[in-house]
Amino acid sequence: MAAISAAFGLVFDPVVLMTIVFSAMFGLFVGAMPGLTATMATALLVPVTFFMAPVPALGAIVTATSMAIFAGDIPAAMLRMPGTPASAAYADESFAMAKKGQLELALGANLVFSVVGGLIGVGFLIAAAPMLAEIAINFSSFEYFWLACLGLMCAVMIGTGDPVKGFLSLLVGLAVGCIGIDPAAGFPRFTFKNVDLMSGINFIPTMIGVFAISELMRGAVTADQAGKMVQEKVGALFRGIGDVTRRYWKNVIRGSLLGMAIGALPGAGADIAAWVSYALSKKLSKEPEKFGTGHIEGIVDSTSANNAAVGGAWIPALVFGIPGDSITAIVIGVLYMKGMNPGPTVFLQNPQFIYAVFIIFILANLLMLPLGYAAIRGARQILSVPKNILLPVILMFCIVGSFAMTNSPYGIVLMLIFGVFGWFLEEHGIPVAPLILGLVLGEMLEMNFMTSMIKADGSFLAFFSRPIAGTLGVLNIIIWGVLLWRAFSGRRGTMAVLEQVK
Amino acid sequence: MRLSDTLLALLFIAVAGVMIGLTTTFPAFPGQKYGPDLFPRILGTGIIICSLLILLKDRRAPISDRLPALSLDPALRGKRQLISFLLVPGSILFYIFVADWLGFVPTAFIILSGLMLWFGVKVWRALLIAVLMTGLIHWFFGSMMRVPLARGLFMQMIYGG
Repeated sequence: MAAISAAFGLVFDPVVLMTIVFSAMFGLFVGAMPGLTATMATALLVPVTFFMAPVPALGAIVTATSMAIFAGDIPAAMLRMPGTPASAAYADESFAMAKKGQLELALGANLVFSVVGGLIGVGFLIAAAPMLAEIAINFSSFEYFWLACLGLMCAVMIGTGDPVKGFLSLLVGLAVGCIGIDPAAGFPRFTFKNVDLMSGINFIPTMIGVFAISELMRGAVTADQAGKMVQEKVGALFRGIGDVTRRYWKNVIRGSLLGMAIGALPGAGADIAAWVSYALSKKLSKEPEKFGTGHIEGIVDSTSANNAAVGGAWIPALVFGIPGDSITAIVIGVLYMKGMNPGPTVFLQNPQFIYAVFIIFILANLLMLPLGYAAIRGARQILSVPKNILLPVILMFCIVGSFAMTNSPYGIVLMLIFGVFGWFLEEHGIPVAPLILGLVLGEMLEMNFMTSMIKADGSFLAFFSRPIAGTLGVLNIIIWGVLLWRAFSGRRGTMAVLEQVK
Repeated sequence: MRLSDTLLALLFIAVAGVMIGLTTTFPAFPGQKYGPDLFPRILGTGIIICSLLILLKDRRAPISDRLPALSLDPALRGKRQLISFLLVPGSILFYIFVADWLGFVPTAFIILSGLMLWFGVKVWRALLIAVLMTGLIHWFFGSMMRVPLARGLFMQMIYGG
């Protein structure tokens, strides 16, 4: 109880509240701008939060990501351009609604059900995380090894396109993570006697490179073309929402639960949650023929799902230190920087910080209602910020942000190399999210493997000798089997199948 | 620039090969069966297997589906597009090599105004925004967050060294 009241004290501090409001506006802006993603918003925030206390730092990330995932819906409905990948699943549908003259209803539903979905996701985070932490406290290096494996496998299995290419990306990420001092024996690997490389590949500049620089390079090609202007005037937003809620309240709950669960799976985030729940909604609907013609049912499901996924992704991140999506991959880096090493012990050592994160999550979702309303009203102004001004400014922020992480040009060099490399990979249909997960989890995987091997005196059977470890190990082997079967039978990932359903 | 899947696979196989080759110089972990060379070797082998699968798939595909060994992304065909694209990494390189000597303020101003002018922002507008943004970033990161941004010639001139 003392921790909870301490958490309230930490959150309801003028500086923290100010940070939340500013990062909410930042998140809404980045989310609403097509081409700028929620992950990019987080990567750009980290250098700023680097110098803050833990609670405002985490609060800024929580708020900005929640807002960005909602705000992506605005240009999706108005311009048929999803502001973030998480809104791509139903961009066609909400644009079709707008063309039928139901723009207000589409945006109103996006706002209200994003808030509801977000709150349900947070509810489960609050309920599930401490419970899981109680179980996880008994975990040893064997369980953590299998968990890390499971996280990596999920990332490949759920991801888009060719599973072989996803796996390749993961292995490359793990290999990049090997650069630096080896975690078990302390031997410098692949450092070529370079002092900067001895410190390893700094994670934040790498993320800024992969997620922001590669995007800017793609965006630069069209930066000098004038953007589409929003013409529509937005009327009363909440008219008709009551009817939609009465008719589709089951969809809201179904979408939120599904989104939360997908968010909690390592490697799958809000975008996949939206695709899956849209597809499921169509499959279970009484009127599937209306989907794609501007029918609100699928939007209700998927707009709740992507916001619920934001909270769900924090469950494995906080409890096991395994990121639920690319945003929480960055969050884990921030947690380490702030001395709140993720894992079950964080619930014992710093419970007030964890409760503060929960409170901020709820606050951010409640704040979404008025601020999201304002963002929809001001959409014309937000969307008319020209790309040719935005792109150079973001580039400059990336450069300074990466520099700030290492206080030397090393950060900028890393950002440049991984920006070009990330662009190169995506050019060849190789997804970059597994690479980042590999980089984050690599050290944990190797450390736990080596520790286990030393404990077991080199016997591999020890990995199956504890009940939970054994179960996790068998689960891993099953997933391996599925992946191999897929690779050889030429079947594509879940996402490709879903796109066909659509 | 786009490589065919065959070329891409060969590239990854070569990199993984070098990686495995380098692990032979790693010392053993005294008293243990496995040392720091184990993980890079497993990963290198995995990369080679994945690359071989990609290579096989590309070789088996009908010739009409295959990409030429080297091609340019259609979005980058056209001189202007290609220059716009290269300006992003180019600006970063410019910063890396020039900022220390020239100082943060002029370097950032050159990059911001240069890019905006290239992307077609009106001259007075581009210059004004470049000045404002340079000032803002310098104030926020340099003064508020105490990031040691490069001082260079610029600060030397203002503060006399």
